[in-house]
Amino acid sequence: MGEKVFMQGNEAFAESAIRSGCKYFFGYPITPSSEIPEYYAKKAPEEGLVFIQAETEVSAFNMVAGVAATGKRGMTATSGPGFSLGCEAMSYMSAASLPSVIVDVMRPGPADGEILGSQGDYFQLTKGGGHGDYRTIVLAPYSVQEYADFAPLSFELAEKYLNPVVVASDGTLSKMMENVVLPGRSQGPARQDWAVDGMHGRSHRNDITTCGDGPEQWEKFNLHLQAKYAQIRENEQRWEEYNTDDADIIIVAFGVYSRVCMDAMKMAREKGLKVGLLRPITLWPFPVKAFEKFSGKKYFVTELNSGQMVEDVKLAVKDTDRDNVEFYGRLGGITPSPMEIYNKLCELYL
Amino acid sequence: MKNEIIFSGIGGQGTILMGKMVCTAAAKKGLNVTLSPAYGQEKRGGRASCQVVISEEMGSPIIGEADTILVMDEKSFDDYESKVKPGGTLIINSSMINKKADRTDIKVLEIPFTEIATEVATARSANMVALGAVVKTMHIVDLEDAKAVVAAKMKPALVEANIKALEAGYHFDEK
Repeated sequence: MGEKVFMQGNEAFAESAIRSGCKYFFGYPITPSSEIPEYYAKKAPEEGLVFIQAETEVSAFNMVAGVAATGKRGMTATSGPGFSLGCEAMSYMSAASLPSVIVDVMRPGPADGEILGSQGDYFQLTKGGGHGDYRTIVLAPYSVQEYADFAPLSFELAEKYLNPVVVASDGTLSKMMENVVLPGRSQGPARQDWAVDGMHGRSHRNDITTCGDGPEQWEKFNLHLQAKYAQIRENEQRWEEYNTDDADIIIVAFGVYSRVCMDAMKMAREKGLKVGLLRPITLWPFPVKAFEKFSGKKYFVTELNSGQMVEDVKLAVKDTDRDNVEFYGRLGGITPSPMEIYNKLCELYL
Repeated sequence: MKNEIIFSGIGGQGTILMGKMVCTAAAKKGLNVTLSPAYGQEKRGGRASCQVVISEEMGSPIIGEADTILVMDEKSFDDYESKVKPGGTLIINSSMINKKADRTDIKVLEIPFTEIATEVATARSANMVALGAVVKTMHIVDLEDAKAVVAAKMKPALVEANIKALEAGYHFDEK
């Protein structure tokens, strides 16, 4: 483990990605993600990286698909408006089973919207965004440390399942500065047998396609993808719990916003309300397993959107608890203070 | 132990730099630090502020009230006087703020940062005078820690003048 440094979220992620052997970055600047491309551009000459500022996110995402097809680590970073443009490539990369990493630094939409923190892209990131029956792993960091840690983790998961991985950051976490321990250096994976990187000693030519050859064949192809998604659902649900054992009320919140709720939870406990917190770390696969052991609990789901993850929470809780799921959200880039959440808890449960 | 500080002013006054310096010094002591910056969208004269949380465990980066609030301009004064926790401290840049605080449940320090800076260095070091006052108030990092950060972060030619300004701010209320 290295020394602790005081670093901004986006820059810590970029540095961590470089140390993880991600030598290819393609992107188009957009607030609040721009420090990631900026950092790559600055480090490119000394680190021997490839950095291309594409003419649009459509190109940047497709360039990521291109480098992923060669088995090398490549990534892009953007915000909601750019992610929308990249969704075509998300669908193609998913179909082609290409291991890539995409950072979405969420800001409030729809459309251009604002540039502060938001969680309004939850549906887009977890339910598709692009066309067809595909899924991408979505990781939501809650601290600069976790943001940095998710760079190597994203590539490992992407390569393990041959699937795109999205890091769901936001306008708050991206600009925030904290002390962080950066990962050690890695070279990335060895040459991949499936990669389209020239024969160079291989006896066969690799071919990556996303084109169907008749409905039967294409259904088989889709079932193969679905089997992979089932495996990811089984193995990769991640979450963290705080004080849930004796809790009557469980706050469900993700990302850096969950830390606001952590403070609210402590305030509520001092007031005698038995509040716990469940923080989904993987937004897809949603951590349904976390809810299996709970029965007779009340749930307070809070998000920086009009209510998106709350749908997954309602599917995850016991049938008998479904009517006890409350939702509170703020829009437009407003992040409530711990006091606001505490007051809301008192209003509902005291 | 948890200490929440807000630095607020106009772009160019170095409010975010001050926040970063406090965090760097606190981080060196092994504490958890979180700095959340906020910028106005104006190209010039916009708000530049940051919220700093220093604690032993991870907590909310968003704060409603703070133990110490430094206001560098009048608009920040208007917005933040009410956000000081009872018993906390409001540090006012009286070189640029002519208003008086109404609150009686907090400690109010009125310090003419620009005049002090001009006396010991140049007007451009006003933010280091302010930093000295904040360091004194928050009791988490000491003057030596802050000096070390200034020495490490600034160009060598600027270190001496800025440390003088920092010391002048730190010792302000001892006069």
